[in-house]
Amino acid sequence: MEAAELQSRIEALEASLKMATTVNSEVFYWWCTALMISIHAGFLAYEMGASRAKNALATGVKNLIAFAFLIPFFYFVGWYIYNAFPAGFVPGDAAGALPWSANMGPNLEDNASGIFWAAFTLFAATTASIMSGSVIERIRVSGFVILAIILGSVVWVLAAAWGWHPNGWLTSTFGLHDIGAAGCVHMVAGFFTLGVLINLGPRIGRFNEDGTVNEINGHNMPMSLIGLMLIVMGFFGFLGGCIIYTGGTWESIYATPTTFSAFAFNTLMGVTGGMIGCYLVTRDPFWMMSGALVGVISSAPGLDVYYPPLAFLISFAGGLVIPKLHNILLTRFRVDDAVGAVSVHGFGGVWGLLAAGLFASGYPNVEGPAISFGGQFMSMLVFLILGFVPGYVLSYVLKMVGLLRCDPEAEKAGLDVTEVPVKAYPESRIPAFGDGALTPAE
Amino acid sequence: MNSAPITTWEGATAYFTFADSPGVLALCLLGSLAVCIYAIASMVKHENESYRKLKEEGVPPSL
Repeated sequence: MEAAELQSRIEALEASLKMATTVNSEVFYWWCTALMISIHAGFLAYEMGASRAKNALATGVKNLIAFAFLIPFFYFVGWYIYNAFPAGFVPGDAAGALPWSANMGPNLEDNASGIFWAAFTLFAATTASIMSGSVIERIRVSGFVILAIILGSVVWVLAAAWGWHPNGWLTSTFGLHDIGAAGCVHMVAGFFTLGVLINLGPRIGRFNEDGTVNEINGHNMPMSLIGLMLIVMGFFGFLGGCIIYTGGTWESIYATPTTFSAFAFNTLMGVTGGMIGCYLVTRDPFWMMSGALVGVISSAPGLDVYYPPLAFLISFAGGLVIPKLHNILLTRFRVDDAVGAVSVHGFGGVWGLLAAGLFASGYPNVEGPAISFGGQFMSMLVFLILGFVPGYVLSYVLKMVGLLRCDPEAEKAGLDVTEVPVKAYPESRIPAFGDGALTPAE
Repeated sequence: MNSAPITTWEGATAYFTFADSPGVLALCLLGSLAVCIYAIASMVKHENESYRKLKEEGVPPSL
């Protein structure tokens, strides 16, 4: 074979390899995004089941419409925020992420922007869904949509720019390691939700005058359990989206090398640790499945480095503690978090970040110092403030202008009456609409 | 309406509709934003009217 022909074949082979890398990357994130949609489907089922029958569809509409609004708003501002603000509040150059950029649409020279934007958009939808369940049965859908847009397309993604970005200042300054986004997604959404719940207040009938708590049971526990299992499935897309495909190797969002095997070991061990922990302290299937989420979140920051039985134990510890924190919030602080999202995601995220500081200290970062407990602790405080303050302030403003909470008459009658023109169960009599024989909590 | 920014696929990069017309892109972008804001305003109006109707007429008998 002549040298020229050999050279030509090598060049063709290289071009083919480059194309294969591009295609693999696109296909990988495409399916991660599809899987993440099952998180949203899971939240939909889980929250509708956790609502009383009179609120089932209004709860579902809230989830669906948040999804519909988040995607365009993440296009308008979210992707730009992620790319422009890794250094703090001063924007860097991210012209390619502006919504009028040549990269923000079909472009034969850019196979990456759209597919990464899509994956991040679904992360945004997840943050809004985390808040969604806590506020059911009394929030106005309009108020919720405004909160969801700000949380999903501004707040969490600013946190991601700071702590879940190769050049984020939390990593370069403190050595933050949070590979599975326990901080920027779960903690930020959990504490944003806490801020909202303080202004929103409990459901009518949740507390008696003497401070004791009335149970408010959802109308369809099996639907909630299936929903939670769908969320667990979707987490495999979510966590897959946390890994960067480079062609030759897999890298974390911090540019450190990793493998899918690492994630597979520790995700599954974490899920089961959390489930068993919650089961032991509650015996409640709803909490057992919430424990699966606690498990993922508790292990999330160190999924790439933990010894799998250690991930199991960290998640097990989270599973033991989180339901108790939920009860303290409910009984001592009278925070009516309908599904326990503040505890599962907020406190679960706190535990996950601190656990990585305790058990993964010393691992080197590409940018900044090595992982340390102090660095994880400082980053945790930043996420806590970044989540809570906007949630509290924005919900306070909405409360002042009458857009946060529905009318008490509508709440008693059920939000389906005022929010949607169709019935969830048209052939069933909804007891709450009857002759007033039931207590408000029912 | 000729919306194509390219006349050949040879060497094409950003080829989405009106990619070479910043004014039209701005119109589409502002239009999308306006739709979203209008939809939220409509949601608020719908809720306010529903609350008022519930107070005046009570729960519909069919429910």
